[in-house]
Amino acid sequence: MLVLGIETSCDETSAALVADGRTVLSNIIANQLELHRKYGGVVPEIAARRHTELIGYVINEALDAGGRTLRDVEAVAVTAKQGLVGSLLVGVAAAKTLSYMLRVPLIGVHHIEGHIFAGMLSNPELPLPHVCLTVSGGHTLLVHVRDYCKYELLGGTVDDAAGEAFDKIAKFFDLGFPGGPVIDRLATQGNRKAFHFPRPLLKAEANYFSFSGLKTAVINAFKSELASGETLPLADIAASFQEAVVDVLVTKAMRAAKQCGVSAISVTGGVSANRRLREVFSATCKREDASVYFPALSLCTDNAAMIAAAGQARLALGQADDMSLDVIPNVPLEVQHAG
Amino acid sequence: MLVLGIDTSGYANAIGLVDGERVLADFAFATRNESLARITLNVDNVLRENGLGLEDIGGFGVGLGPGSWTGIRIGVTVGKMLAYGTGKPIKGIATLEALAYEARDVQKLVCPIIGAGAGGAVYAAFYRFQNGEIHHEGDYYVGDIPGLADLITEPVVLVATKVAEYRDAICQRLKSDTIETMEKALSGAVVARLAAAHLEDGRHDDTLALAPLYLKESTARAFVNRYRKQVQATQQG
Repeated sequence: MLVLGIETSCDETSAALVADGRTVLSNIIANQLELHRKYGGVVPEIAARRHTELIGYVINEALDAGGRTLRDVEAVAVTAKQGLVGSLLVGVAAAKTLSYMLRVPLIGVHHIEGHIFAGMLSNPELPLPHVCLTVSGGHTLLVHVRDYCKYELLGGTVDDAAGEAFDKIAKFFDLGFPGGPVIDRLATQGNRKAFHFPRPLLKAEANYFSFSGLKTAVINAFKSELASGETLPLADIAASFQEAVVDVLVTKAMRAAKQCGVSAISVTGGVSANRRLREVFSATCKREDASVYFPALSLCTDNAAMIAAAGQARLALGQADDMSLDVIPNVPLEVQHAG
Repeated sequence: MLVLGIDTSGYANAIGLVDGERVLADFAFATRNESLARITLNVDNVLRENGLGLEDIGGFGVGLGPGSWTGIRIGVTVGKMLAYGTGKPIKGIATLEALAYEARDVQKLVCPIIGAGAGGAVYAAFYRFQNGEIHHEGDYYVGDIPGLADLITEPVVLVATKVAEYRDAICQRLKSDTIETMEKALSGAVVARLAAAHLEDGRHDDTLALAPLYLKESTARAFVNRYRKQVQATQQG
């Protein structure tokens, strides 16, 4: 079955063709980084306007690159839940119009469910059940993936998302936007033990994260130097800050996997592209006889291929939406206990 | 040519169907904040009521704005996808022009007005009809009602929903009580009819490039531009 996926939940306009939920024929992602860079973050109204301009081109290119036409599409899957409302609705308006016209099923997908499927799409050998850690600019979430579309929410962040902390630190020290790749790059030249920043909630048994305090601690440590115009050891700060985040993410994900009695961990979302995170996860899992899986880099950040894969799985379970599909900007991932 | 017109710039899904100059259907479904949820269902309803399918439609017209930013994004995206999927042409119509068209038999200057959100701001423009043709005079206006009143220097007909409120404010400013009004909401059939006139002459928009007519920049960008101007002014001063 050929599924057209559409994703516009934040600042990436994306369309993809995925065959049988496994083979990515095309995955076109138009990012808007340049438009938002000067604001140091995503501006919702600017994102929504750009999606409206790009959506047609991106869908057309996904079909071209996949070597198919609109008539070959057998279902349309779209991110309808979780994201910026103005951005989401552009994708949903496009998807429901195409579904109506082509008379094929329409599936509204939760954005986080897409990220969960990015791990499975990239790693067909990833076993079920597993624990999925989704880390991005908007999310830090631990989910026990019991089976296809059967999730148990283990915990999430109580304040900032991990990627958001990267962005805010990068913005404060004027390193660039988005913060993740910038800090990842800078950190390779720094000493990660130069400063010991706090590891919030590291020892707490609950699967919750907090990155707001860490961000404030880093900023406070250098406020006076910054005000007096002193040259800061930016590479050391970046490396030490990143180490604190990585330490928390890896420790908590390993503990969650143990609690759930699974040995496989899938790490997804934009921050899963972070090199130090991959390095520490791999080393820790090797030591503790567990296995960790990361998506291909093209499936880490927001993309429509993962939405198409999730849509296909929902359809296989007989779940589709009707023409009244609307966007829901803020809703937890459905919690469906298996068995 | 059978043309389907769609406008979602206000609080309704306005959907119309014309065959050249003949209006086959003209519906306005009140939707409030369910514009997106209802739009394809309403399009389908209008087509079914007329015993038609999408394959019978020869072209599309869509209200580009100005109006609700969210609303015009829905309409433009739906219109764009309908045209893309059917391979039929599309023409975007300014909502102010569609509103002005309601006063096409009037000899005077026509001033359509559309609310621009909280704070009493409006979108407006001036049009004149001569020999059956519409002429847009001057620029689009975005601002408050007294500012709009100051632009009025000759007899004018106001076209709007809740037009009495605008008339009272304008009369007060101009110290005049002789301004004519027409109470009208945006019609999908008018959007279709205006689009049909263009499409029948082979004038259509680039389907994939079609974009809303906002008239106002996003607040973030406006803020940055204002800041830049201040900096420039300080540097020059």
